Amino acid sequence: MKALTANRLDDGEVIFLGQAGRWVERFAEAALFDDEDAAMAAEARAKTQRTLAVDPYLIDVAPAEGGGVAPVSYRERLRALGPTNHREHGKQAEGGEAVEALLHATGAARSKGRVDLIRRK
Amino acid sequence: MYRYDAIDAEMLADRVGEFREQAARRLAGEITEDQFKPIRLMNGLYLQLHAYMLRIAIPYGSLNPTQLRKLAEIGRLYDKGYGHLTTRTNIQFHWIKLRDAADILQHLASVDMHAIQTSGNCIRNVTADPYAGAAADELDDPRVWSEAIRQWSTFHPEFSFLPRKFKIAVNAAVVDRVATRTHDIGLYLRRGEDGSLGFEVYVGGGLGRTPYIGPLIRQHLPAARLFSYLQAILRVYNRHGKRDNPNKARIKILVATLGAEEFTRQVEAEWEKIGPAGDLPDTELARIRGAFTPVAFETLPARSAAFDEARTKNPAFARFARNNLRPHKKSGYAIVELALKAIGETPGDITAEQMEAVADIAERWGLSDIRVTHEQNLVLPHVKLDDLPQMHAALAQTGLASPNSNLISDIIACPGLDYCALANARAINIAQDIAETFGDPDRAETIGELKIKISGCINACGHHHVGHIGILGVDKKGEEFYQLTLGGSAAEDAEVGKILGPALPGPKVASAIDQLVEVYLRERNDGERFLDTYRRVGLTPFKEAVYADAH
Repeated sequence: MKALTANRLDDGEVIFLGQAGRWVERFAEAALFDDEDAAMAAEARAKTQRTLAVDPYLIDVAPAEGGGVAPVSYRERLRALGPTNHREHGKQAEGGEAVEALLHATGAARSKGRVDLIRRK
Repeated sequence: MYRYDAIDAEMLADRVGEFREQAARRLAGEITEDQFKPIRLMNGLYLQLHAYMLRIAIPYGSLNPTQLRKLAEIGRLYDKGYGHLTTRTNIQFHWIKLRDAADILQHLASVDMHAIQTSGNCIRNVTADPYAGAAADELDDPRVWSEAIRQWSTFHPEFSFLPRKFKIAVNAAVVDRVATRTHDIGLYLRRGEDGSLGFEVYVGGGLGRTPYIGPLIRQHLPAARLFSYLQAILRVYNRHGKRDNPNKARIKILVATLGAEEFTRQVEAEWEKIGPAGDLPDTELARIRGAFTPVAFETLPARSAAFDEARTKNPAFARFARNNLRPHKKSGYAIVELALKAIGETPGDITAEQMEAVADIAERWGLSDIRVTHEQNLVLPHVKLDDLPQMHAALAQTGLASPNSNLISDIIACPGLDYCALANARAINIAQDIAETFGDPDRAETIGELKIKISGCINACGHHHVGHIGILGVDKKGEEFYQLTLGGSAAEDAEVGKILGPALPGPKVASAIDQLVEVYLRERNDGERFLDTYRRVGLTPFKEAVYADAH
């Protein structure tokens, strides 16, 4: 299962592609792709949206222990939450069940976002 | 302190206006991210994990209270009320919006500040001794040379598109407080046998993926010939640096590939061609020197009754005095280290309120002079011993009196995976764990000088290679692991540390450091620092302690 993420051009905020092609700030509202081709098509479409999303890329997501789904990579969970040295900053500040589920999610994998970044560098 | 003249001010205003237009075009979709990225980077604006990050230059780490108050204002207006000091003596704000960036640059320009030379393949912010103008062991003021290099290198057309970034450090004291030999060019001011001032020139040092301690390529470069020599070095680099592979593009790789001797030969040949025409006119150096006129210190006795009394009566002040004061060249004064390393806090972070407090304190007791160190701390270089008790009380009120300068909890840590898009692993949480493990100030003092440096990836912004204990975050199939190195040093005895053994999971790092410290305390001879003991006994006893469970 995959989700599409990026940073918003205007303010750098972490965003996810939600329903009906709308970009959303909360991971809990991200559209999930079971179909690889559909995910890649969404990524290709996002890359043409010059004024919305910077460097969109697909992330792997999987069912989390506490329910719901979470990014498999720790880096991507951290992006979806905020920095661990300031729990009052970033999306985690909002609290609630979805944030708690992400905080307690486990699993590890390399982030495609970082790998792409290194390759481009 | 150097103040910008009308030409500098006009140049900055033009630059801000240009960036404002470029950012507007990007936001309107008239230019692509690929076109815009190099432009924003040349203005210090990075896109990180959670937001844009603006890296602001603090040339040779020197600030006045007006500038620090402006940084506080920016932190409050455009960020989340704090900033982060870096190992290049810059300050970063981690929650910046692209739409605000030009306004921030305009704020900075109003106090002679900017974000130029904080990114890109140019000559980066020059670093210098934070004790400049105050250290007893100083031959000349390194800020004069650093400012001259800054002016010479800013927008230098020949050196704005180098194969990779380029870092220069200037040390003019006997003690090396700028990690001279870990720089692309490290300049060490010395007196020659004839008494003349000259630079020892080290080239090709650097950390990152391939760490090198820079070899000496010229023993005594007459000080007046500095700029033609810098030009010659950069020309050889520009010509032969490997532009096709960013991992091999730094000058250290060129120097190592050619060998220091051949590299030197080429530089000297180029230098011959350039000749004295490439040097700075004496009048220009004198103009810059005029901005750093020696401070008019008062004539004071070496002892201060107020200082002695406070040390006797106030144990917290006595501890601060033991660890955070350094001898000043003038009797009755001290150099004061403000360690931004309160136990459990983020190394190098400073809140807007703390910035304003430091600005007030520097104005009241510190001759309005503030420095940033590459160890992510602040320094007030000129404080009267008589004023220290009052100043300490004011620092304590705002959480800036951490008495741990140079001790085990005075840790360098890069922002790591909490903020940085390139990081493999977090660094801040590891620093916090270690600081808390050694939170007992008596134990920390018993351990003495121990420099721990943590990087969240191999780019080594946290200088882990030259930590007495270095910690490198690595990615093991997406999990955070940490590789320990021992025996590094960034000082006069510069050395790259040796890997202790297999990487450890994050929760085990602080206890491994504790085991290393226990070996040191067991093995040390009188007066030995951790580094000295390590050098005498070698890696084995330390390795055995940490990996005992594995055998």
